[in-house]
Amino acid sequence: MSQAEDKFDSIIVGAGPAGSACAYTLAKAGKNVLLIERGDTPGAKNVTGGRIYTYALEMLEPGLYAEAALERRVTHEQIMLLGGERAITVDFHQPGFNAGDQAPMSFTILRAVFDEWLAAKAEEAGAIVACGIKVDRLIEQEGRIVGVVAGEDEMYADVVIAADGVNSLMAQEAGLIKDIAAKNVGVGVKEVIELPEQTISERFNLRTDEGAARMLLGCTEGIHGGGFLYTNKQSISLGCVFTPEEVARHRKSVQEIFQDLKMHPAIAPLIADGESIEYSAHLVSEAGFRGIHPRLYREGFLMVGDAAGFVVNTGYSIRGIDLAIVSGIAAAKAIIAAAENIALAGPNYMQELNRLKLMPTMKATDGYFEVLETPWLYDKIPNLANDVMEKLFKVDGETPSGVKENVLGAIKANGLSIWQLTKLGIKGVRSL
Amino acid sequence: MSQVIACYKWVADEADIRINADLSVDLSKAKGKISDYDKNVIEAAVQAAAALGGKAVGVTFGTADAKPSLKDALSRGLDEACYINAQEASQADGAATARALAAAIKKIADVGLIICAEGASDTYSRQTAPRIGALLDLPVVTSVSKMDINGNILTAARKLDDCMQTVKVELPAVVAVLPEINPAPIPGLKAVLAAGKKTVTELKAADLGADLTPRSTVSEVKGYVMNRKNIIFNEGDLAEQVKALAAALRKEGVL
Ligand SMILES: Cc1cc2nc3c(=O)[nH]c(=O)nc-3n(C[C@H](O)[C@H](O)[C@H](O)COP(=O)(O)OP(=O)(O)OC[C@H]3O[C@@H](n4cnc5c(N)ncnc54)[C@H](O)[C@@H]3O)c2cc1C
Repeated sequence: MSQAEDKFDSIIVGAGPAGSACAYTLAKAGKNVLLIERGDTPGAKNVTGGRIYTYALEMLEPGLYAEAALERRVTHEQIMLLGGERAITVDFHQPGFNAGDQAPMSFTILRAVFDEWLAAKAEEAGAIVACGIKVDRLIEQEGRIVGVVAGEDEMYADVVIAADGVNSLMAQEAGLIKDIAAKNVGVGVKEVIELPEQTISERFNLRTDEGAARMLLGCTEGIHGGGFLYTNKQSISLGCVFTPEEVARHRKSVQEIFQDLKMHPAIAPLIADGESIEYSAHLVSEAGFRGIHPRLYREGFLMVGDAAGFVVNTGYSIRGIDLAIVSGIAAAKAIIAAAENIALAGPNYMQELNRLKLMPTMKATDGYFEVLETPWLYDKIPNLANDVMEKLFKVDGETPSGVKENVLGAIKANGLSIWQLTKLGIKGVRSL
Repeated sequence: MSQVIACYKWVADEADIRINADLSVDLSKAKGKISDYDKNVIEAAVQAAAALGGKAVGVTFGTADAKPSLKDALSRGLDEACYINAQEASQADGAATARALAAAIKKIADVGLIICAEGASDTYSRQTAPRIGALLDLPVVTSVSKMDINGNILTAARKLDDCMQTVKVELPAVVAVLPEINPAPIPGLKAVLAAGKKTVTELKAADLGADLTPRSTVSEVKGYVMNRKNIIFNEGDLAEQVKALAAALRKEGVL
């Protein structure tokens, strides 16, 4: 093979949403792109909770979502606080999130099908997709990244884009990040439970095509973390995210805590008679804005998606897929604009990240990190809320105590003080 | 120059096949793949073509769903591929399959060796190689676990029930190989990229001039349950329990 055949305009490592969105945009602009994925098919082993915000697909190409491999349109935003065997569920129903005349705001998704579909779109647009290939190393020449090594083979490009996910090997190879710090990530476990479409709609009170996205607090035995539940067409994605350090010290394993959640009286009926068809685990960046790596490029090299640290976790929603897609688009635009002088790709990329509002979004949500740091948020608060509810609704013929008394009593019973709650409230208000 | 043919089949990935509670088989979620044993066939063909100084050509008979097989097969080192794209493949029995493959192989000039797997990973009917041999009037060697080519002579080690047999055959010939013939390597990046540039000849059923009507039809596919005997040996002391266990195993013909 000649040298020319060994060279592409861009090589993208990883066919997750970031890599495929980048490949799609570059290929559509006529660039000669190679997208390399280690899985036998894109998405084969990729894990997510399960929802995607549609604006990112609209940014990739208006109307694209209509043919995308998506599940249900999310119209029910839910928060669930578990305290012992009790549960409070807040259900915000906004049918407008699924109005007919515009793109629905978000969809539940299953990654195996979605990722394969998006990579196929990139291939259709002209990108070359090579699956079943793991990139082992980068090739550096005179301080620039000029290519990749996979097994015995070397392949060259003007730019290599690291879209290889959290704890990016490519970014480590490029010397831009170190091995990930345990305190900045969560370990997510997830099960996909199959149920008939009709059953899911009935159990969650959904009309055809409607979906629910639920975040759960109080299901992690006090460990920093939380649960999630998404209704797909014919399955439910149920999972938990935990801080690994705290799990390691905990007396119960992740699997045991997760099993307890599945048996919880408020969860068990939702998944009853379902069949588990998939179990998976994955890391997720938890540090938000401060988790973004200080340098996202060097000459001949850009980082996108999870590899760059683009995940927002507010406690009531996780966003990573949309940011992965937006950053993939930003990188592609930066490269296209740097056609004359490829050295400008990096600085262009930082500008695009701002222009496409990715950086401002990350910055705006920075405060959540501190709120979510509060240790007693994960057991005492949901328990307190349930205690207050219990007192509120209890009628047993005795003289009822006042609401204020009830609340104060419950705060004390949970080992908290008004002062702590006020501080959290102030922190919360500030972070918004 | 002599060409080597690798016959391969696109099958449902057994990892994705689900058996429902009523024992019906759910193939709806199953992805396709090249039958595992055919990966060894392809590698054997690549090696044989090198020995004969010819090209390795993949031939597959499948429905429109088999199209993705081509890139995979070619990335495994084949020089070219011939794809018989026919809906008949979904109903084909061993005879129809062999007639389709033989008709396509006849269109390829200067064939020195045809390699098949002993059986496909889905049906494992062990008919393809012998039937192709009969249709093309070529000698057939089955159950081959090792082969060497020296000029015009192929020496094959046949793995039989309790012994090995060495067979010499003059080419052209048909061989059915066992998976242990080679460790079918996973294709590398350049091989995957090169696959996209290789020649694929696509044939339709009508191009073959062969009768693809199956004589045997599949009337039902069902899962099965292994009935366990659930015998617990807990009578008497330990020695007696072991004795009873051994006796039961002997009765089953296991010991
Ligand atoms: C439990 C959990 C729940 C989540 N829930 C949500 C949610 O509901 N909504 C949301 O928006 N986000 C969610 N996220 C975050 C979201 O999944 C990620 O932010 C998103 O997947 C990032 O996309 P990416 O393309 O950057 O990386 P990935 O999706 O991780 O893709 C990286 C790809 O690179 C490939 N790869 C890696 N290394 C190599 C190599 N050396 N050579 C070749 N290929 C390689 C991988 O196989 C993979 O296909 C969740 C994450 C977790 C773990």
